[in-house]
Amino acid sequence: MQKKRAYSFPDEVLEHVFSFIQSGKDRNAVSMVCKSWYEIERWCRRKVFIGNCYAVSPKMVIKRFPEVRSIELKGKPHFADFNLVPDGWGGYVLPWIVEMAGAYPWLEEIRLKRMVVTDESLELIAKSFKNFKVLVLFSCEGFSTDGLAAIAAGCKNLRELDLRESDVDDLSGHWLTHFPETCTSLVSLNISCLGSDEVSFSALERLVGRCPNLRSLRLNRAVSLDKIANILCLAPQLVDFGTGNYTTELQPDVLSNLTAAFSSCKELKSLSGFWDVVPAYLPALYPVCSRLTSLNLSYATIHSPEIIKLVSHCPSLQRLLVLDYIEDSGLEALASSCKDLQELRVFPSDPFGVEPNVSLTEKGLVSVSLGCPKLQSVLYFCRQMTNAALVTIAQNCPNFTRFRLCIIEPKTADYLTGEPLDVGFGAIVEHCKDLRRLSLSGLLTDRVFEYIGTYAKKLEMLSVAFAGDSDLGLHHVLSGCESLRKLEIRDCPFGDKAILANAAKLETMRSLWMSSCTVSFGACKLLGQKMHRLNVEVIDETEPPCSRLESCPVDKLYVYRSISGPRSDMPPFVWTMDEEGDNNSNQKDFFFLDMFVRNNHYISNSL
Amino acid sequence: MELHLGLALPTNPFSPIGYEGPFYTNVNTSNGSCSSGGGAGGSKKRRGFDEETRVVPKTLRLLLWKTDQPDDEDDPNDLDNSSSSSSAILKNDGEGLVGWPPVKAWRKKPRRHVHNGRGRGRANNNRMAASKSTYVKVKMEGNAIARKIDLSVHGSFESLSSTLMRMFNITEEHWQKSFKLAYQDREGDWLLAENVPWRTFTRSLKCIKLIRR
Repeated sequence: MQKKRAYSFPDEVLEHVFSFIQSGKDRNAVSMVCKSWYEIERWCRRKVFIGNCYAVSPKMVIKRFPEVRSIELKGKPHFADFNLVPDGWGGYVLPWIVEMAGAYPWLEEIRLKRMVVTDESLELIAKSFKNFKVLVLFSCEGFSTDGLAAIAAGCKNLRELDLRESDVDDLSGHWLTHFPETCTSLVSLNISCLGSDEVSFSALERLVGRCPNLRSLRLNRAVSLDKIANILCLAPQLVDFGTGNYTTELQPDVLSNLTAAFSSCKELKSLSGFWDVVPAYLPALYPVCSRLTSLNLSYATIHSPEIIKLVSHCPSLQRLLVLDYIEDSGLEALASSCKDLQELRVFPSDPFGVEPNVSLTEKGLVSVSLGCPKLQSVLYFCRQMTNAALVTIAQNCPNFTRFRLCIIEPKTADYLTGEPLDVGFGAIVEHCKDLRRLSLSGLLTDRVFEYIGTYAKKLEMLSVAFAGDSDLGLHHVLSGCESLRKLEIRDCPFGDKAILANAAKLETMRSLWMSSCTVSFGACKLLGQKMHRLNVEVIDETEPPCSRLESCPVDKLYVYRSISGPRSDMPPFVWTMDEEGDNNSNQKDFFFLDMFVRNNHYISNSL
Repeated sequence: MELHLGLALPTNPFSPIGYEGPFYTNVNTSNGSCSSGGGAGGSKKRRGFDEETRVVPKTLRLLLWKTDQPDDEDDPNDLDNSSSSSSAILKNDGEGLVGWPPVKAWRKKPRRHVHNGRGRGRANNNRMAASKSTYVKVKMEGNAIARKIDLSVHGSFESLSSTLMRMFNITEEHWQKSFKLAYQDREGDWLLAENVPWRTFTRSLKCIKLIRR
């Protein structure tokens, strides 16, 4: 028998090989091969994604990965977008910035979602990271334009500043003047969320003019239409552009100037903005329409005929965001013009009206599913639906990866048969084998959850509201959905049984949110006591849950796995259910660090 | 193998905690097909579930949501309270259900401008609620310069104190020994922060002062 010869590569060679491996999942796999690969890999990991900022502490991340250049953090639970998470809940980035300021002097990129960022944090970023390049604040809050001024002034090599959908205390537009004249490195600037009337437009123009690599520029509503032509002439290389308000006094030159400006943008592929649209100016877009792959009209209050006209000029469209003014007729036109469509989002123009204000029904979505074979991602708000339509849609689009349907009135049945929509959603999960994200609505019984548990094996995120009959529904999901990472539930009759029966499952997920359900305080306590690697947080703004009976249901429950124990920054209305025993942070936890850092359950799947 | 040790989940991955109900017996079987078939391949245990799923879905008691009024029935504006569940859910006169439909706060009402006016940017097209600035002035006794602090990022006195300590370069010891946190409320009265709960404090305060004992 021949002896096996052990070949060992020098570390530098391995490091070089690893540098071609970008995906976090793959890197986690690499680090599990053996101890020496673990060591080499952790020293050359440059990018870290942390799906829940409370799942791990900054110190732990720094200890494991000492040379990170790019970090992404998420804070509040998704339902915070809909005001279900009270202000002051948490998600503060400052402790992370403080630790990283010391440990990662070469940090280049920070991407945050739903976190509380303060001016102090922004100032610290500007001061601490000499080579800082990318700042993305997605749905963040807590900072003002003063903080932005610090970033503008302090980050000499800034490439990306993206404030999408953040809530900024807009004290003045002058922060833009803090970009030094020497700053020419900007590639992407998104200030669409800024509210104030005054944007220092001259500073903006100068900035745009001196940044030859600027590819993406999204202006805020305050910038009026007549200014856009100038901007576009300064930056004809733009690939992605967001207008300000698309309106101005009707003047003869505006349209022709605008059309000429758009024509000069040969690379433009993506448009957004369009607040307050005057339809007469839409033809200015025609020169770029044939190349457009992404169009966001979700702020544009134009009606179906105008939308149809615009969209029929865009045969390359892959992504459309639009208000329900598009109506069924517009969706039919979309289906015949835009064969490459991959993503469609239809938002409600009057979400709180009881009566429908537009003629948008299930038929529109059916047409698109029929006409657009590449459709993968749907977000659709409507007021009526049938099982038959959902079955048809499912059969037409087996490639769905994201399907979010919101029937505006809770518990709406199939309007033709009066039945629950279980069968319709069941068809979606059965046919769409790659479905990763699903949001349910309408009248639903436990049966839909049985379908989901049976078929939705790749489902990672599920949102449920006003659905189900009993704990059995929740049990189906927790026991059946192997890939489940995030589960958010509101106003469903789910209680203790399913959660306690599937407690270990919760450790394989990022988080579980349940509000206005029937989970008792006693069950929460039990869960917190028994499951040491889960943080079980009860949110109650009216009174401490312990002042009531153990059998009383809690208002809101947020359970998430964590290897850093209960957090220490909870506001008074959040209670953590204490554990027995103490936290031990030993080597074992570093194996779990992978799970939490990348939020994949690769490990548990391979068992 | 080390890997297994490190990844030890509770021995029975689905062992329920403290509960011996119907789920326990069925928990280890793999998921069968939907119970629309004859349960082929399913065990006896599966039928236990079938019985339960045959339960006729009952109309759910409306889960009450929180509004500012503690008791909905007393709301004089709410004439529809006794009528069908659907109209009670979507009250148009007030907020209705919190967070439903799930549209982001800043998207709630697309404003329709008159087309023939010059579009004026709105001061606040972000949150629907008036975005009050949450910055308050903080002064330290003996120090001429006032600072500003963002109250919304703090949820407790501990958090506030540690930021103030950092801001004014006061050590923990020094703080405990020599300083007290006082605040001026909306009526102009000066009060000590140690006597009030956090929420009362944040709601009524106008500015903060660190006074020496």
